Amino acid sequence: MFNLIENEVLKMISKKRLMFVLAILVVLISVFAYGQNHTAERTKAQLAQRMGISATADWRKLADQQLIDMKNRLDSPYRDEKDKSSLRVRIEQLQYNLDNNINPLEQSAAKFTTKFMEQSIFLFLPLLIIMLAADMVSGESSSGTIKLLLVRNVPRWKILLSKYLTLMILEIVVLFFAFVLSVIISGLFFGLGGWLAPVATGFKLVAGKLDTSAVLNVPQWRYTLMVYSLAYFVAVVVGSISFMISILVKSTAASIGIIMSTVVAGNFISYFLSDWKITRYMFMVNLRLTDYLSGSFQPIEGMTMLFSITVLLGWAVASILVSFVYFIKQDILV
Amino acid sequence: MPQTAVLELTNLRKKIKGKEIVKGVNLTLYPSQIYGFLGPNGAGKTTTIRMIVGLIKPTEGSVRICGYSVAHDFVKALSNVGCIIESPDMYKYLTGMENLLQFAAMNKTISQQRIKDVVEMVGLQHRVNDKVSTYSLGMRQRLGIAQAIIAKPKLLILDEPTNGLDPAGITEFRNLIRKLAYEEGMTVFVSSHLLLEIQQMCDIVSIIKQGSVIKTATVQEIIQHDDKIEWQINDPEKAIALLRDHWQIEATQLKMNTISAEIGQHPLDKLNEFFIREGLGLTYCTAKQNTLEDLFLGLTEGDQIV
Repeated sequence: MFNLIENEVLKMISKKRLMFVLAILVVLISVFAYGQNHTAERTKAQLAQRMGISATADWRKLADQQLIDMKNRLDSPYRDEKDKSSLRVRIEQLQYNLDNNINPLEQSAAKFTTKFMEQSIFLFLPLLIIMLAADMVSGESSSGTIKLLLVRNVPRWKILLSKYLTLMILEIVVLFFAFVLSVIISGLFFGLGGWLAPVATGFKLVAGKLDTSAVLNVPQWRYTLMVYSLAYFVAVVVGSISFMISILVKSTAASIGIIMSTVVAGNFISYFLSDWKITRYMFMVNLRLTDYLSGSFQPIEGMTMLFSITVLLGWAVASILVSFVYFIKQDILV
Repeated sequence: MPQTAVLELTNLRKKIKGKEIVKGVNLTLYPSQIYGFLGPNGAGKTTTIRMIVGLIKPTEGSVRICGYSVAHDFVKALSNVGCIIESPDMYKYLTGMENLLQFAAMNKTISQQRIKDVVEMVGLQHRVNDKVSTYSLGMRQRLGIAQAIIAKPKLLILDEPTNGLDPAGITEFRNLIRKLAYEEGMTVFVSSHLLLEIQQMCDIVSIIKQGSVIKTATVQEIIQHDDKIEWQINDPEKAIALLRDHWQIEATQLKMNTISAEIGQHPLDKLNEFFIREGLGLTYCTAKQNTLEDLFLGLTEGDQIV
């Protein structure tokens, strides 16, 4: 099995597809980092203009004011518990910033690296994975080399398993590079720090409303780790589905087209989510797993992190089953 | 026969989309012989070969390679086979050597020395480190053969192997196949629609037509079968009529002034005498060996590709 995986990895490297994916990552991260930097500069300039203070030099004054304001609100007897817990989290964050002399308006490599993946998880990351996965079997079918593989003294399921495991390794490689490149490139703009800053998480949806009572702060590095773990899960799911399509459809172009349009369609199918119940069982509307962490997900009754993960897992398992059954049974006519 | 069969096909059938492509093929191959598998395009050659190597599952019947069933003992059966199916598709983005290493990695019995030997055997040693995308079709064929024989299979299956080879390449290829069969002891199974090729290369030929094997015989047997006479004559119509009326011989006109006929037991000198007496101008007369082509055309006469 190890030598089969080695074969697949060698093919993947020689095909330059992986290099292409990594090159896209470099370009996109650079553009994104530059854009973030640009926005941050503008916000600071606006602040300075409106409030007559320099956001870089006098941010502590501003933060002190905010802190006092929030503490007053926390003491008010008219606030309910939910509001209070969210306030407490924000106070904790601001206090941390003041204690550690971190300007919250300044970006950091840690923040950027996390944000980049949060923004990529539902579209950009799937597209990169599709580029790799959709070619794994259909590429061999359209070039005819599948015949050479399947007439060896190796059973078909082993050949397919080696390809699937290779894909899972490549998904790690892609995420690893996304992480490393984000840190390095954004580090050039914002500095490498920010890994210990607190980040709020633990949002819940109860009775159609965002429940903030369980919100707590975790250090940035833990939050980033969670985001990238979820991203890997999404990559595996999208990879499995693309892998299946690449077996069912023998042309690489067609399989990339099918799976890409499905993922893109997910972005506007989400509009029907609240009243068209069946759409929530589609894999492409459940890809925004990180939104559950940050609490920015549009509140829809019945959709939780657990729900989305279960739906995605179901799709992945079904795809793998279909892939293996079909691949082992099919007649190779190319 | 006391020898164990290298390949045994029993009542092999395949239906694809309701159409029966292969209709009950029975075939047994014995060691160290070169077998030809001859048939027009669409006769079911490639489908049969794909069933032999397990790319297609038969609708009915069984394939046994060296005694192992392909359906039930795939790994053991396929350990004894090397093949090229249709075109020699290789990974174009890898070099020839990298391609061979891919296949060598799938079989632990292949040594570095064997890879080197195989490359030399097919005459690819100067180009083996170039990308396959830069290869000519002939070089790709050589690489195809190299990957097929790399694991020293007992059975070598070549589907249309000389497609795209130039005459020198074909001769070289033929010598290589003979060497593999008679020196390395491989059984070679060559499919082709080129009759001359089979005639020159094979010991035994099976002719397939519309999914059924219609004849299996040694090439010698087939060639020696009844001789044909060819006359060049100034009035072919009259000659054909005379042969029919006086000798009950059916003759056919080949070219403008040439007719040919199987004369069986009739003495040739009497026939020639007869032509001259009837006032026909006879330029020459020759006995022609029956080629596989004649036999093949005779057997498949008037058939449409279905």
